[in-house]
Amino acid sequence: MSRRSTRSGIPLKPVYRPEDVAALGYDEALGDPGVFPYTRGRRPPDHAAAAWIQRELSGEGAPSQSNAQLKYLIETGATGLDVIGDTPTMAYLDPDHPAAAHAVGTQGVSLCCLDDYRELYHDLPLDGLTVSHSLPPLFGIAGFYLAARERGIDPARLRGSIVQPPFYCEDCGYATHMPFPLRLRMTADSIEFASREMPRFHAFLEDTYYISDGGLDVVEEMALGFVEIRYVVRELLRRGLLVDSFAPRIAILVNCGMDFFEEIAKIRATRRLYARMMREEFGARDPRSLAVNIASHTSGLSLTAQQPVNNIVRGTAQALALALAGVQGIEISGFDEAFRTPSPESHLVGLRTQQVIQLETNVSSVTDPLGGSYYVEALTAEMERRIQEMVARVEDMGDPAALCDRGWFRTLFQDAMERHARQVRDGTKPQVGVNVHRMPAHEDTLLRALAERKIEPSRERVERIRAFKRSRDSRRLRATLEQVSRAARDTTQNLMPSIIAATEVGATMGEVAWVLRAAYGVPGDPFGMMESPL
Amino acid sequence: MLGLDQHEVGAVAVARLLRDAGMEVIYLGRFNLPPGIVKTAGDENGDVIGLSCHSWEYLHYIDELLALLRQQGLSIPVVVGGSVLTAGDERLLRDKGVAATFGPTSSVEDIPAAIRAVVMDARRP
Repeated sequence: MSRRSTRSGIPLKPVYRPEDVAALGYDEALGDPGVFPYTRGRRPPDHAAAAWIQRELSGEGAPSQSNAQLKYLIETGATGLDVIGDTPTMAYLDPDHPAAAHAVGTQGVSLCCLDDYRELYHDLPLDGLTVSHSLPPLFGIAGFYLAARERGIDPARLRGSIVQPPFYCEDCGYATHMPFPLRLRMTADSIEFASREMPRFHAFLEDTYYISDGGLDVVEEMALGFVEIRYVVRELLRRGLLVDSFAPRIAILVNCGMDFFEEIAKIRATRRLYARMMREEFGARDPRSLAVNIASHTSGLSLTAQQPVNNIVRGTAQALALALAGVQGIEISGFDEAFRTPSPESHLVGLRTQQVIQLETNVSSVTDPLGGSYYVEALTAEMERRIQEMVARVEDMGDPAALCDRGWFRTLFQDAMERHARQVRDGTKPQVGVNVHRMPAHEDTLLRALAERKIEPSRERVERIRAFKRSRDSRRLRATLEQVSRAARDTTQNLMPSIIAATEVGATMGEVAWVLRAAYGVPGDPFGMMESPL
Repeated sequence: MLGLDQHEVGAVAVARLLRDAGMEVIYLGRFNLPPGIVKTAGDENGDVIGLSCHSWEYLHYIDELLALLRQQGLSIPVVVGGSVLTAGDERLLRDKGVAATFGPTSSVEDIPAAIRAVVMDARRP
């Protein structure tokens, strides 16, 4: 990267002037905030005065431990929650799976049955705050829905979101060991269910964070996100859904790296591209279908294990960029992200950073404060052009699902990881403390002690789930799992009702996933270690 | 990579670094357990086993892996690298018999040289 280009390689001039934006008509290209094409913001200025949702990605240990963590975050001022499963949960494996033994609860919360969701949400005001979920979609929705309904909270009032990762999950850290048609069906079935039963819940969260944090640049990040959104939208339309029945509840969770203006331009360009796509290609009419909700998680890849205190500065710069871009929600990666699952200290600093920016800097009093800047508008337009061009290039190569199966995206992700490593190695991507302004290890001690504090895998939980499994009515359990199996083999059925029924009688996620995989002709247990639950 | 963790950036980067340094790298990808790693290392006649650790699972797998190597009479040195390794972890791993460790502050110049040294050392009669 020369100094005169963005991190994604867009060449930059030393200064921008009126002629750089002369082609952009205000009404066509920008519009006021809350007005098509929503470049300047999703909501009219009156609404925008309300702060973004301030949250921190969390989840660790057993569900009860995470419940305490969520309460701590709310007490600290979080205005929304975002829960992530541990690695077994994200891979649809129960905690008693032999391969899960050393990972239960260490990198997220362990969730596998209805009791777990009851404990996770215990005493939380589910109808009073938004709960985002980085969890397997069918099961996360079923758990949230059932836990709320049991407490007398109408699921129609639930707000929040859930990640839908059908395209890239196998390559980017949320591997399910399920074939593409099943992954797409789980996405479409759960969105269809939620658009009916939980109409305020964003059941389609396109997560471009986790796909890009291996090293994709911002153009690649958003292009791949759009490819996935477009594919899922077409699938929902093919099923006969009306676009305005589900599009108001599509949201995007974007990454935010260190190139300040490039990230702002990315978000503004995404709002414009999305609005035009929804109106012109998919025929959406409801303004809520056109104005996309964007939240962001700041980049873990941009953080360093060296001199971790610098990560607090990075998180601040990133959150400030997001505040200026006008996003609906922010979560700052823990300053200890490079070496551990977030500590309570890093959650506290993340929330306090957001609070300082929101309450002390006055940056959010005026909507889209950078609108009209020659540089920001020119960069937004160039970003839009490049994202659109890459989406077209990918779609011109054929069916994106086939590209996915052929490993085309996998190659792209691997290349990006190698490119990132090379740029850090040769210094073209400066990282303070890593390739410039280094410090001897024995002097690099500030905040270092946190790394020695580890989260032990939850052995008690494994025992508890084993005991729970033995305690169930095996006849009823088997009958409901057989129902899931029949539903899975009949693609005209929605999977949600049978999964909800199975969950209610104690079926676990690992068991249901076993049945789903088997129905789609792949091994029920990817590790070949667990028996069939049927 | 060991266990269920899927943070792959470091593993891919180091694999590339070692290839660029002229070594042959067999990258096993994600979701490996000790028996599979030991079997591949034996079948492929590997000079060294490198583990990438970005979760704490390695702390619980390392004994099993080293024991399997001993049981099968394989004297293949094991090196461990990753962002989660602290100074305390590095000492612990070396005490257990891990030949070299690379924490987050290891410099990229040192890794290929250190691995070469480990392999040379293991080949000495």
